[in-house]
Amino acid sequence: MVVDAEQASDANLVVAVARWHHQALAEVYRRHGGAVHGLARRILRSDTPAEEITQEVFLDLWNHPEKFDAQRGTLRSFLLARTHGKSVDFVRSEVARKLREERTSRETATAGYDIDHEVWDMAVAGQVHEALGALPDELRQPIELAYFGGHTYREVAVMLQEPEGTVKSRIRSGLGRLRINLAERGVAPAGADR
Amino acid sequence: MNTPLSPSEHRELQELLGAYALDAVDSETADRVERHLDGCVRCSTEVAHHHEVAGLLANSGGPSPAGVWDRIASRLDDSAPPSWERLNERLEAEGAGAEGGGERRVRMEGAGDESTVERAAPAAGVVPITDARRRNRAVVRIATVAAGAAAVVALALGLQVHHLNQKVSALQAQPSLSSAERSALADPSTKKIELAGSTGTTTGRVTVVLTSSGTGFVEATGLSSLPKDRTYQLWGVVGGRTISLGLMGSTPSVVPFMVDGNATVSAFAITAEHAGGVVHSTNQPVVAGEVAA
Repeated sequence: MVVDAEQASDANLVVAVARWHHQALAEVYRRHGGAVHGLARRILRSDTPAEEITQEVFLDLWNHPEKFDAQRGTLRSFLLARTHGKSVDFVRSEVARKLREERTSRETATAGYDIDHEVWDMAVAGQVHEALGALPDELRQPIELAYFGGHTYREVAVMLQEPEGTVKSRIRSGLGRLRINLAERGVAPAGADR
Repeated sequence: MNTPLSPSEHRELQELLGAYALDAVDSETADRVERHLDGCVRCSTEVAHHHEVAGLLANSGGPSPAGVWDRIASRLDDSAPPSWERLNERLEAEGAGAEGGGERRVRMEGAGDESTVERAAPAAGVVPITDARRRNRAVVRIATVAAGAAAVVALALGLQVHHLNQKVSALQAQPSLSSAERSALADPSTKKIELAGSTGTTTGRVTVVLTSSGTGFVEATGLSSLPKDRTYQLWGVVGGRTISLGLMGSTPSVVPFMVDGNATVSAFAITAEHAGGVVHSTNQPVVAGEVAA
């Protein structure tokens, strides 16, 4: 199989990765490595574990490309979901917990959300920022604390002094509203590059 | 086999989907949600949507750090087991998936025959082929020893590659639906709407599948590929208004979408737009179809 990696679609690249083409994985890394590393670093707030998780995410794709389901979303969202899961596992580990206990929850939330300063695509990031800003605080805060802070919804409920059921529901409806807000701004999260 | 949930149990799980998608649930809850997702097209589609939204929030970080890639590349060389063993494991795993019936098959779109492959894939969050691989690994090791000479191994590799290519060709023509999507299709309340266009705009059938809950998907393999800077866009007519139901990409296969469960969609249409999509289209639909009352 001849693969022009730079021209290939993401899904095509994963097929080439499944056939152990180093060049294909390199191209996947070139396209998405920055976002993966950026998300890990944002959640972990430390370079060394973020780099280790970045390595793990791409080695996992190399070893288990079949875990990517092209019908369930884009490669970028798949890689970022894996990155998020691994980062959160680390954040919730004992070592990280001790470090985190030294900070206040509010600091974590504030430091975790700095989309203004780190953008991969100014046009899209601007629209995402706008869409997120259009959410009322009670929907935005639980998403930020859970996603960027790596907290469970139960922890978020304690931090915001709200009932667990309320927080769980707000995360869900907040993501739904965010999706609508993004669509209104011409950013359609689902369906691209299948 | 999942035990059917009562409506209140289903609602309780639905409320967890946002937190689950953000990894904000404990592992027991995550396991429970994942078992449910395997059989529920509505919830699995919702989680996919949440992941896409979360992915956009995370889209930051600048260029890929070069030093990290060097370390990844060095570990590829160090960790790669013999290709014969790996290829054989993969083929055995594929065989297990085809025979098991409980695993879905995934199609990954490619530009040409050589770059399109369909492989056994795990259901949402589950890794069903792991055990099969472990079992097969022992068999493979014995087989490798028995094969002995390198020339024999080389011959086996050649045969396996040939077998893989045959498998790929055979699988390309098959529809590629997840188990949840197949369940939706089998439901008598599900509507199936064939979209038609003028001659030459499609290479096969384009079907919209809409469940009574408002989730659905488009089987769009019949649409011709567009240039990379273009995308297909799905539209629904609700109460006389045409609303966007999402972008489908330039080479769509099976694309999920969701409408309000209470909304009545009277027609669907697909247009070709620039890559970012449009709020209102001025283009003629590539295909369209009315929903039977």
